[in-house]
Amino acid sequence: MNFLKNHKKFVIALVSVLCLFMISFSLNRAKPTFFESGIGYVLAPIQSFNTSVTDWISSKFNALTNINEIENENEKLKEEVYALQTEVNRLKLIEDENKKLSEMLKIDQKYSDYPKVGARIIAKDTSNWYDVFLIDKGANDGIKKNMVVIASGGLVGKISETGLNYSKVVSIVDDTDSVGAKSLRTDDIGFVRGDFENKGMCKMEYVDSDAEIMNGDEIVTSHLSDIYPPGITIGYVKDVQTDENTLTKWALISPTVDFKHLENVLIITQSFKKNLN
Amino acid sequence: MRFFVTAVIIVLNFIIQSTFLHGIEIINIVPNTAIIVIVSFAFMRGEYEGAAIGFTVGILQDMFFCRYVGMNAFLGMMTGYLCGKFCADFFTENFLIPLLMTSASTFLYGFVFYVFNVLILGYTDLFYFLSNIIIPETAYTALFSVFMYKLFYIVNEKLEKRESLKRKLF
Repeated sequence: MNFLKNHKKFVIALVSVLCLFMISFSLNRAKPTFFESGIGYVLAPIQSFNTSVTDWISSKFNALTNINEIENENEKLKEEVYALQTEVNRLKLIEDENKKLSEMLKIDQKYSDYPKVGARIIAKDTSNWYDVFLIDKGANDGIKKNMVVIASGGLVGKISETGLNYSKVVSIVDDTDSVGAKSLRTDDIGFVRGDFENKGMCKMEYVDSDAEIMNGDEIVTSHLSDIYPPGITIGYVKDVQTDENTLTKWALISPTVDFKHLENVLIITQSFKKNLN
Repeated sequence: MRFFVTAVIIVLNFIIQSTFLHGIEIINIVPNTAIIVIVSFAFMRGEYEGAAIGFTVGILQDMFFCRYVGMNAFLGMMTGYLCGKFCADFFTENFLIPLLMTSASTFLYGFVFYVFNVLILGYTDLFYFLSNIIIPETAYTALFSVFMYKLFYIVNEKLEKRESLKRKLF
């Protein structure tokens, strides 16, 4: 202790170097250290409770302030339910027909439905830069790194770390991780990643210059992706431009998931890691 | 006792910042209460305690929300150290200095964070980040610091009174 007191400046410099070492060692780590996991084990339930309280209060508050809106919405939704019901019936007929036809063609319906686990968001990033959040399911519930996280609207992101009772989700609107993607209408392939300069938006890059991609096209995950199953909606094209340097096109994509008001997510518990042998 | 109270404040701040504060976001911006904790204690207790608290606050954020551990710890430690150094000559009763220091720290912290985490990815539009993240965050944090510094000031005064009784001074 005396040493610490006598060499304070030295200690500060030493800890600074230590920080640098930690940064370089913790790049690309697979899972949190025992120490982090322990702290997370204690903090996650508290965060879970706090977030429930916050969500509850804000939902009550919203309900009080928007009663008229809710009534109008209710009317609209009722109409929509009827419309959708007829649509569902129509689609059921088509599905039956499709089943028969594919049986005839012997096409396997590989990705008809994936095993899923629901989870709640318990804490969000403390900084204003990233969209990282914690969910209340962890290694104890069979969650593993790189599992795919979706919500009702579409793709949310992937699991980047798992503690015992919590996991960390990195969303697609964060930079650094790309998702293999394609346009549903034209089958043009590209890579989607977050765009820091348009917060909450994604950018689809390296699209072929001949691609006929245009505003309003639906973008889904492609079969080229390493961890994502094909066919999950990412978002819709907002703007298409040509990159002067690489002569490829890039598209601005607005994600279908509302990241601001996300409370619950689904985790696909199946691994899609491809075996290349 | 001081150690215990400070640890509780740090953990409590982290929990509140990652949960409740997201309920009062304005234009998607959360106030950076972590910096208020660091600056307040650095101002009241000097550069070395400020550095230690900054390191702890930062590493807690790193462990949960960053891709690599150490960035926030380093920035937090430097914030605490420099604030303590700059403010050594002011009286702690002065409520204006922590407000100014918090604003300056949040701004610089944001700027350095941008350079090391965002600029190196190729996002060069500094003006966008200034007007959309750094400046709103600075303003919102400054507003919060007025109340939080008062709270910490009271806590610190109680602790100091306790310590002086223990040493049977005064």
